[in-house]
Amino acid sequence: MNNYIEKNILPLVEKPITYLGNEVNAVHKTPDADTIRFAFAFPDTYEVGMSHLGMKILYGLLNEQKDIWCERVFAPWVDMEAQLRSHNLPLYGLESMMPLNEYDFIGFTLQYEMSFTNILNMLELGHVSLLAKDRKDDEPFIIAGGPCAYNPEPLSDFVDFFVIGEAEELILELMDMYRSFKKSNGTRADYLKSIAGIQGVYVPCFYETTYDQATGLIKEFKPLIDGVPEKIKKQFIEDLDKAYYPDKIVMSYTETVHDRISFEIFRGCGRGCRFCQAGMIYRPTRERSIPTIQEKIEALIKATGYDEISLSSLSTGDYSEIQKLIDTLVKEYDGEKVGLSLPSLRIDSLSIDMLEQIQKVRKTGLTLAPEAGSQRMRDVINKGVTEENLLDTVRTAFEKGWGHVKLYFMIGLPGEALEDIEGIAVLGQKTVDEYYKLDRDVRNKNLKVVLSAASFVPKPFTPFQWMGQNTRQEFKDKQNHLKSKIKDRKISYSWHDSGVSYMEAVFARGDRRLGPVLLKAHEMGCRFDGWGEYFSLEKWMEAFAEVGVDPDFYALRNREYDEILPWDFIDIGVKKDYLIAENNKSREVITTPFCREHCSNCGIMEFKEGWKCND
Amino acid sequence: MIKMQYQFKRTNELRFLSHLDQQRLFQRAFRRSDMQVDYSLGFNPHPKMAFALAMSVGLTSDCEYGDVMLTDDISCEAFIERMNAVLPQGLEIVSARILEEGHPSLSASLLKSHYQLKVKLSDTVSKETLSKAFQTYLDYPEILMKKRNKKGKLIEKNIRPFIESILLNQEETTEEAATIEMFLNYIEQQCVKPELILSSINEQVNDLFIIDPTIQIHRKNLMLLED
Repeated sequence: MNNYIEKNILPLVEKPITYLGNEVNAVHKTPDADTIRFAFAFPDTYEVGMSHLGMKILYGLLNEQKDIWCERVFAPWVDMEAQLRSHNLPLYGLESMMPLNEYDFIGFTLQYEMSFTNILNMLELGHVSLLAKDRKDDEPFIIAGGPCAYNPEPLSDFVDFFVIGEAEELILELMDMYRSFKKSNGTRADYLKSIAGIQGVYVPCFYETTYDQATGLIKEFKPLIDGVPEKIKKQFIEDLDKAYYPDKIVMSYTETVHDRISFEIFRGCGRGCRFCQAGMIYRPTRERSIPTIQEKIEALIKATGYDEISLSSLSTGDYSEIQKLIDTLVKEYDGEKVGLSLPSLRIDSLSIDMLEQIQKVRKTGLTLAPEAGSQRMRDVINKGVTEENLLDTVRTAFEKGWGHVKLYFMIGLPGEALEDIEGIAVLGQKTVDEYYKLDRDVRNKNLKVVLSAASFVPKPFTPFQWMGQNTRQEFKDKQNHLKSKIKDRKISYSWHDSGVSYMEAVFARGDRRLGPVLLKAHEMGCRFDGWGEYFSLEKWMEAFAEVGVDPDFYALRNREYDEILPWDFIDIGVKKDYLIAENNKSREVITTPFCREHCSNCGIMEFKEGWKCND
Repeated sequence: MIKMQYQFKRTNELRFLSHLDQQRLFQRAFRRSDMQVDYSLGFNPHPKMAFALAMSVGLTSDCEYGDVMLTDDISCEAFIERMNAVLPQGLEIVSARILEEGHPSLSASLLKSHYQLKVKLSDTVSKETLSKAFQTYLDYPEILMKKRNKKGKLIEKNIRPFIESILLNQEETTEEAATIEMFLNYIEQQCVKPELILSSINEQVNDLFIIDPTIQIHRKNLMLLED
């Protein structure tokens, strides 16, 4: 098969090099009968998937095990898919080019809802049964994890089991159970039963949901068999500093979305922005120490030859010793032409001096995320950033020679009024004004302020999880209103929504009844829904209509606090009562402090015995 | 400071690299091998390195050239050894030499390429027919080909001077696929792509070859001015 694909198929597709699995640091093993074959599947293109940190961690971790060979598989681009289908060839794992259906496990990472149809498409292309209930004993187990697994229900028809939370430790335990299972001659169900009790594992076929006929609301969610937990507790790594981190990563030949070393300096975030799912599900915050970071980065640079390191986290400026860390790294790598970048900087934690220190090596534009235009709205969402913070920051940036500033906002936030929308335009104008206050010879010659507004999508496990999304018409009206308020030609405004955020809102807070819709959409040819050129709202609406499911029920409806939510059976450590309290505070425009400064008892302290935050 | 010129080959495993991919690959390989590469000044420092030719996607080659400025004195043998230790399978440095200052740049030294092409035949044709077709083609005093100039305008260009010879590889040619040896000249750093010559033969002489991306093109030799 390898030779045939290489000679006759790859020359015909756009990016042949991404289907070969022969990159520097790719792992090749000589498998025997005992080797566990694991395909780590990213349901989007190679270029997107190769930028994903979680895959790098699990790929390295699994391949450290002698008897496990973890390979990669991505959603083939449409030209490659057409070739595979016309030659009747199966989708394969990149390293060994083995057909997907011959693996022991296929593990999908769920990074965004709009990749769900790609999962179905990849299974089909890999000749794997789409529905978990149809899978034979010789077919792979389909696993799924990642942020979207915190509401696993829309995918429960297709996935054999979900991993809720951080998988670095759990995955090895699951592999251990599989080793014993392989010796036992058991059935699929036997293996699933053997792992169903492990913290962080959710096996959907052992549970049942019933609905109220009249209202359509969930009546009950309960286990179908004995010995499986009623609530699924997430997993988290207590000592991140000691947790596995790869010292080499696979080097893509083609340019990827984030073509650099991405180093995770800490996990979790205690800011408590009320729209942010990551800020809740990844609690508690845990840091890696500076010596660990230094040592690992050193190894990664040696093994890859990359010339850029990005210090990643949910809010990089909140690292407790950020200045010291940057000083250390800049000192170490300045002479070697290795650039540093700091994504995800909060406006209030960001020091322009810090950025300038980095800019000495490499220059980039400045991106800031005030998220909302008015102070009232920023307090509603608990962003905790003031206009003064923002203007101080842009002023200093302009003084230091920056000319290109991008500001990110959301529209359609709960309780939003037209004044809040107008605030976005006002903030853009004030930013421009700061620039013109400066002397000509100080400031950059080219000023460009970009305002970018995304449509708000309510997510599970956030204080806004009960809130309905704006209708598409409401979004449109608000966008047009905002546009009409932008007068300055130095300000450009970007907004794009073809209905994608509506679909996201449906699947983010959907339940098991969406399974048939996904299947229908897949049959109708939906895939790469995150890609503007392939997303079709019309097709999706047709799929909903055919299956008889109303998408508005999931996206637009305000839910009551006492409604059983599809994800209520998952315990992330942050209590529901806390989320309710936060929602109530948002209605009264009361903010909640950064948890490092004042603990608001979100629940994570009681979640694991002996755990103490900020210790 | 030294200018290291190296000859390398690219085999099947990495024939799908684009020129940009390959540049990036070498850049990173220099870092992994701890080579002390000289960088350009400015906000976006770039390593001082160049290739004789941009390799197209799909091309394999026994003979490619690159050069790189190094800030420390290193022997050619050490350069080859350290680079080959970090280069992936599919790329290999064959030889290297340190250039004197004032040596002409690689792109200015291009003389001639020897290509070997494997191409599927559109019909069963005898080896004699193929050889005859090449002869007929080469006997034309002028061969015009439509090309886009730098402004994007379509112009006709005589490509005959770029072609030194086209020969059929008798041993490797089968009924389905021909193996062809082509010797092509560089004139003022310009050349003609070998697969375009096959299309041109299809047009000017006889429809013999199936022109599609599965044509295999291999460079056996690249001759530089001084050699």
